[in-house]
Amino acid sequence: MKGKKEKFFNIKVDVKSALPVYEQIKRAIKLAIISGYLEENDRLMSLREMALKLKINPNTIIKVYYQLEVEGFIYSRPGAGYFVKLDRRKIQKEKRELFKDITGEYISRIIKLGYSLEDMIRELSRNAK
Amino acid sequence: MIKLKDLSFSYGKLKVFENFNLQVPEGQVCLITGINGVGKSTLLRLIAGVLKPAGGEIIFSEKMGDDPRKKLGFISEILSLYESLKVAQAIELHMSVYNLSHFDDSLIRHTKIEYSQKIKELSTGQKTIFHLNLILSIEPELFLIDEIIHSIDAYLRRIFLDQLIQLLSKRKLTVIMVNLNFHDIEHIVERVILLKAGKVAVDEEINALKTKVKKVISAAPPQSPSILSQIDYSDHSEFFVYPYSEKHKEKIDGEIIDLNLTEIVTAFIGGEYA
Repeated sequence: MKGKKEKFFNIKVDVKSALPVYEQIKRAIKLAIISGYLEENDRLMSLREMALKLKINPNTIIKVYYQLEVEGFIYSRPGAGYFVKLDRRKIQKEKRELFKDITGEYISRIIKLGYSLEDMIRELSRNAK
Repeated sequence: MIKLKDLSFSYGKLKVFENFNLQVPEGQVCLITGINGVGKSTLLRLIAGVLKPAGGEIIFSEKMGDDPRKKLGFISEILSLYESLKVAQAIELHMSVYNLSHFDDSLIRHTKIEYSQKIKELSTGQKTIFHLNLILSIEPELFLIDEIIHSIDAYLRRIFLDQLIQLLSKRKLTVIMVNLNFHDIEHIVERVILLKAGKVAVDEEINALKTKVKKVISAAPPQSPSILSQIDYSDHSEFFVYPYSEKHKEKIDGEIIDLNLTEIVTAFIGGEYA
């Protein structure tokens, strides 16, 4: 099975974050998959290239790819590399969770500023136009 | 991969290590840090066989074979390698010492080093890369890196680290590096060891360390966990605490900030100077 040419995207790693590097990279790749930027059977960068590009220990990438494979987001073809697996139900579920997380974050931030839920709804409707 | 057992070493009357124990498993990238003079470089030189311990032993795994030094790469500013020889002669000598039938000099050619130049005429950066090329040619199982990364220019530093990552990608390489600066290597390192007064004061996996060392910004010092060091400002202080865990969150009245490796090590070392 010949995969399509690799799609590249930039992953920014936050050095200070207590969130481990492997978790940050995992989320970035997951996001690229659920947002549709990476499509079914797209080939991911090789372990070696990813490590060089992000300037991190290859063991970290191995961990990321392994976990993504276990979680069902990618599959591997020995000798060929890692490819995106599209499980529509799983993707919908991830999208839903991300939507809820971002919404929750948004609400708590706006409330901290002193606005109400009605204010938010009004502003969102305004933006929708 | 390597086990240091009850190691003792002194420089004359100055005791550096006494009954020092440390184990580094195969394939781990380990950072050794601490204040100047605590014995970091000495430790590497003991492992490399440049210095002989007064007591205790250094046990290498079977992978290192009968003569561990042949499978060990040691790079350090202090070690002057083949200084009076020309590049070409040094390579020849190196090949005969290690029984190499061929030599991949792509790294040397990449950095504009001439085969006719004398080693001592090379810049620090070129010497380092040349040394690295020699080490790569022996395909080491254990790589000891002593504080050279920051004495070379940013471009050569990038080349050095890329080579290290390539090596780590190819095979299970054990790396022990001594460094005082971490921003380049923070994501390559897996384990952080802080030496203090000849002992291991901190020994943590890097992700764990980042969750355990935090900066607390508040007017008054937090009751727990322990404060490593602090910076005082006119109306508040920054307290560096360890070991932090989620259970401390409720009791702390202040902002809790995540830190990078440089800030973490500074927090530990800052406490020593207080």
